[in-house]
Amino acid sequence: MEIKPFTGQPISVLAYDGSPVTNLDSLGISKDEYLSIYRWLVLARAVDDRGYILVRQGRAGFYAQIAGQEASQIGSALPLTKDDWLYGDHRSQGSMLVKGLRAAEWFAHVLGRSLDPSQGRLMPHGPGRNDLHIVPPSSTVGNQITEAVGTAMAQRIKKRKEITIVYFGDGATSEGDFHVGMNFAAVYGSPCIFFCQNNQYAISVRLQEQTHTKTIAEKAKAYGMDGFLVDGNDVLAVYAVSKHCADKARSGNGPSLIEAYTYRYGPHSSADDDTRYRPKGELEMWRNERDPVVRFRRFLEKQKLWNDDKEQKLLAEVKAELAVALEEAEKSPVPEPMTVLDHTYEKLTPHLEWERKELAAELGV
Amino acid sequence: MATAEVTKTQTQSTMVQALRSALLEEMERDENVVLLGEDIGPRGGVFLITEGLIDRFGKDRVIDTPLAEAGIIGAAVGMACYGLRPVAEIQFIDFIFPGFDLLVSEAAKMRYRSAGQFACPMVVRSPYGGGVRGGGYHSQSPEAYFVATPGLKVVAPSNPYDAKGLLIASIRDNDPVVFMEPKKIYRAVKNEVPAGTYEIPIGKAAITREGKHVSVITYGAMVHVALEAAEIMQKERVEVEILDLRTLQPYDSEAILETVGKTGHVVVLQEAPRIGGFAGEIAAFIAEEAIGYLEGPIVRVAGWDTPFPYALEKAYMPNAQRVCRAIKKSINF
Ligand SMILES: Cc1ncc(C[n+]2csc(CCOP(=O)(O)OP(=O)(O)O)c2C)c(N)n1
Repeated sequence: MEIKPFTGQPISVLAYDGSPVTNLDSLGISKDEYLSIYRWLVLARAVDDRGYILVRQGRAGFYAQIAGQEASQIGSALPLTKDDWLYGDHRSQGSMLVKGLRAAEWFAHVLGRSLDPSQGRLMPHGPGRNDLHIVPPSSTVGNQITEAVGTAMAQRIKKRKEITIVYFGDGATSEGDFHVGMNFAAVYGSPCIFFCQNNQYAISVRLQEQTHTKTIAEKAKAYGMDGFLVDGNDVLAVYAVSKHCADKARSGNGPSLIEAYTYRYGPHSSADDDTRYRPKGELEMWRNERDPVVRFRRFLEKQKLWNDDKEQKLLAEVKAELAVALEEAEKSPVPEPMTVLDHTYEKLTPHLEWERKELAAELGV
Repeated sequence: MATAEVTKTQTQSTMVQALRSALLEEMERDENVVLLGEDIGPRGGVFLITEGLIDRFGKDRVIDTPLAEAGIIGAAVGMACYGLRPVAEIQFIDFIFPGFDLLVSEAAKMRYRSAGQFACPMVVRSPYGGGVRGGGYHSQSPEAYFVATPGLKVVAPSNPYDAKGLLIASIRDNDPVVFMEPKKIYRAVKNEVPAGTYEIPIGKAAITREGKHVSVITYGAMVHVALEAAEIMQKERVEVEILDLRTLQPYDSEAILETVGKTGHVVVLQEAPRIGGFAGEIAAFIAEEAIGYLEGPIVRVAGWDTPFPYALEKAYMPNAQRVCRAIKKSINF
């Protein structure tokens, strides 16, 4: 399969009905790997479904679902090695799971419990884990982009065979950070993948109101970088393009921009009402005809790798696994109030020491 | 006599030389220290602080960047998270604002938001302050924004010796430091700067001049305005003590209490506009913690609450006369 930048149509491997439109052998994916990819898709969706319920139950304050975007996240994270670095945004928990974040940690993050690697300090956008090289995103759209470039610059300076991937949405491409980051990475040939999940909306603003270019991928041209437009609901296509860009970056051939053309099923977040801005029928069309999980299942069925029995078994298995994960998260305590001052600096400053005494008095400890 | 003079000037360094030797020594000591900024390579930076360093350490460690402060500070954050110790130069602190978001939303909060998993051991150095005919965009003193951002440390040296020791300490510090260099005295003030490595601890103030009647608490280039005022007041038999804070966040509260306890009269001097300025924090701290020592009002001396002017900067900048008036207001209460 030849992977070319700046195609007019999104690069795809599977038709909507799951039949391959390209030679599969060139992907070099084994049968076991196909099954493992499917498991990730199913798991990511199930984690999200479970997580969102926590908000409905009033047990969590915020949730941004990835539903509809699972193929973009799984397909782009699978080519990463343990040493590679990942910068997410507020909608990249699927990729973080593939990178090694445990579902229990994710739930703890959503609930704000101490099992959360970031100890409940962040709105649930992704907790980060240093040992997995996942950097926790702030809430400021776009900021992670220049940071990721800094990490990629450092990887090149240190002559390591690692790369950095950074996730952001279509809306983020209007921020200066996107342009600054793309320019820096191109100038230094940094081993970086700019992965744009174009879910066609930034909260309520549609892509046509966000930018005047037809695609986001073509913006790469302005920086002397390759831009790839890929069908973000086709996990094999996303994998193939991401692998291509990862190999390219790893072998010293610089950064790439990937635009994964996809669709968000849920509201922007648990605080949004998407019925105010979505045209009638659009969501249903994407859900019924282009769903990334169903599409890949159809593919597996056509390859005789999957059937209803296996499906039921997998769903039951994932459900049980997540029940255990959630229980683990719930068992973990809310962080101690006295820790609220910690980690502002490496050590408490004299002023924070003073505030610590005030807080202790207030809490009666 | 001629020889003696030459020897004397040789042991005296400017702040430019002191800062350069701090960078050079730290880069030799630790290969994770890298520099990035605009024109810092062959040009040596517009104030020549990084002159010659690219020849010594190469392009990978002295990185000339595209003209984008958000990129410089953002990249520094990503480098620091990865384990490097970047020292970013912002050409003038007036131009830090395109990168302000990265400093206050990212560098300052990375440790906290990751519960200590990630840190940003980085320094953002930048020339600040007026008195160089720089107009409104080459003269400002925006320290209040940074001091008001938990997670950042803020340092402002007043002389070459301190500048070197403080920069070395800042580079070795595991938290992000905004290092404000008083450009008016880059070359105007000299003192003895040893060749070897030494640190001046962050968070420790210094008494620049001892006195028993009134304390002037200040930092950066204003220390020299305070010295001038002290000379004038001396003639009127008022002995002025000058406390040079050196670090603004975290500031040395003990040293402040000590000098206030000694004199009972306080003037807080800053170049930045008064309202919402750092001097207000110091005044409030003293009012809260040392009201019993005070024998007069705490008086602030600051720049006017306007943007920084070009042709009229003399009328704008705090000067010795303004400080003397404030001292009198405090002691004649
Ligand atoms: C700098 C900034 N501006 C505004 C917001 C509020 N906000 C959060 S997410 C969002 C839309 C982001 O859209 P996009 O980048 O397309 O990502 P998506 O949410 O669609 O995944 C907005 C406006 C913010 N968090 N940060």
